[in-house]
Amino acid sequence: MPVLDRRGFLTQAGISTAALAGGLRPGRAAHAAALRPMAFVMNSGAANVSVIDMTTRKVLRTLPTLREPSHWALPPDRSRLLVCDAGGNALFYFDPETGQEMGHRVMADPYQIGYSPDGRYFLANALRLNFVEIYRASDFHLIKRLSVGGMPSHLDFSPDSRVSFHSMQQSGTLVAIDLARAEPRWTAKIGKVPAGVLYHNGKVLCCVMGANYVAVLDPASGEIVGRIHTGIGPHNLFLTPDRKTLYVTNRVGGTLVALDPATLAVRRTYPLHASGPDDLAVAPDGKLWIALRFREQVAVLDPVSGHYDTIDVGRSPHGIFLNTMLARPGLVTAEML
Amino acid sequence: MFTPLDRIFSIIAGWIDQNAILPILYHFGWMEWEELSFDWMLICVYGVFALLVTYAICWPLEALRPIERWSSRKAVLPDIFYTVLARVGVLPIVSFLVFYQVQVWVNGFVVDHGYIPPMLETLIPPLLGHPVLTFLAYALILDCSDYWRHRLSHSFRGWYALHALHHAQRQMSFWSDDRNHLLDDLIGALWFGVVALAIGIPPLQFPLLLMFMRFVESLSHANVRLSFGWLGDRLLVSPRFHRIHHGLLAAGRVSCNYGAVFPIWDMIFGTADFSDAWPATGDRNAPEAMVSGGYLAQQWGGLTHAWGQMRAGHAKRKAARRQARPLSS
Repeated sequence: MPVLDRRGFLTQAGISTAALAGGLRPGRAAHAAALRPMAFVMNSGAANVSVIDMTTRKVLRTLPTLREPSHWALPPDRSRLLVCDAGGNALFYFDPETGQEMGHRVMADPYQIGYSPDGRYFLANALRLNFVEIYRASDFHLIKRLSVGGMPSHLDFSPDSRVSFHSMQQSGTLVAIDLARAEPRWTAKIGKVPAGVLYHNGKVLCCVMGANYVAVLDPASGEIVGRIHTGIGPHNLFLTPDRKTLYVTNRVGGTLVALDPATLAVRRTYPLHASGPDDLAVAPDGKLWIALRFREQVAVLDPVSGHYDTIDVGRSPHGIFLNTMLARPGLVTAEML
Repeated sequence: MFTPLDRIFSIIAGWIDQNAILPILYHFGWMEWEELSFDWMLICVYGVFALLVTYAICWPLEALRPIERWSSRKAVLPDIFYTVLARVGVLPIVSFLVFYQVQVWVNGFVVDHGYIPPMLETLIPPLLGHPVLTFLAYALILDCSDYWRHRLSHSFRGWYALHALHHAQRQMSFWSDDRNHLLDDLIGALWFGVVALAIGIPPLQFPLLLMFMRFVESLSHANVRLSFGWLGDRLLVSPRFHRIHHGLLAAGRVSCNYGAVFPIWDMIFGTADFSDAWPATGDRNAPEAMVSGGYLAQQWGGLTHAWGQMRAGHAKRKAARRQARPLSS
């Protein structure tokens, strides 16, 4: 079965994602490859971002935010890294190449953010305040603020940028929003406390943290067409750059699960020992950089041996971005690494 | 700053969260609170640590330099219960859950009307990147706000009747700081909520600094003959300074020394009393249930006392209006 995700969709459609997104030109790719490899770790409980030299694995600097940095997004031109700070009602900008601060803008409760694949829309989920905001990405003009359920958590887009998908932790639903009309298209009850969302291979996958499965939905109708049992409390899911593995972090089980992206069958489970695994990113050497919420650490895990080392960061590390992702063509989002 | 200790506490809180709290949340279908449950565990772990440190410092002080010697410490027992409820996080967590929707509604309402609550660092940009300074700025502002909340609680008949529960204790000790009526606590939480809308919530990455401030509040209630000297008493609220506030003569609607941590607000607003006095504490007008009853008796006593005081105040105002009305021919 071919694996078709947003990158695949755009490639099959004959569209260069990079060109579409105004992203990586060849010269820029070389420049990105020559960058000092750095990891940006959003420490939700410490109100800062740790910048780690990926080679020495030392914290180079700690960048302040206001209260609670959580997730990140990379705009189409990759000129800055956007980090949301829900508790501080702000969106922070950092230079992904140098790891320097670039200011911030006021935004109400941005918890999870993302750009549509065509770069037209910027979306923000306000988990505390129960709304989804749709912005025109070019100038941050607020198109609409929608109340579509309780505790909007994670989000993703259809490859054609027509629909966004939002998990509603409190309502137990996944909501599809028609971006052109800025209105909900469908709402599907999928189980207790849905979290991470990923459009993958023509389906929408959504972790159901109050259960032990990842729900598989038809993006057109919202009908649940399958459930993948990954462990207790699946929280978020990530596709590796080579599209050969889909990882799921299990919050309650404290494990990481590797799935076959084509069949969605479980290949392997990695124990992460009462550490609260959250977001992860894949380094060029194939190692996984995983935020361990409960240990103030980032794990660097070798997926072959299952062994991991740790790096001390701030309290409650949450989102993680590796600037080595800048060297990759195509879309880079928090879940599509 | 304090990183090794912070890390140990995080690991303990994380271990409890992963092994005990998350399975409970999962079992009962409450996983939407999983992200906060770690913060709650941190509050509990720090709270237990703070209690142990407070006890380890204040108990010897009370034993070595007591102001009063008591034959029985039975009256102190309910205060211990209040302290555990408040410091180990039970009350903060319950009040968070109870008022979560109110907070969501109020914040959502103001955002919908174009007001995004700022943080102190967005109001004073040079503070951004200086979290300790920001914390201290918040501490000063919140202490000032608390000074006025406290002073007002002594100004209104019904409100003071609730607050009298705090003053009713005749055996005041380091356990007495959290001895409050639930409604009085509720007013305090609403007060803080309004301030938070104006200047945001303080950064919480310095729980040890927060603990130090709470420690000052506990120590200020201790049954210990201790002042911080001429200058120290003007920088931090000492047991001597705060005892005057709890003195029998200061119980009621005219009082002094309202500050919780910093005496500067009393100095600025003319309510400071730095007398070298160690008065007996208590409130002669408080019903006995509020003084020596158990937790529930005190809470109920506070409620009936407040109701009685409000009715008395209403009757008094009515009589005053009747007297002021011109006689009709």
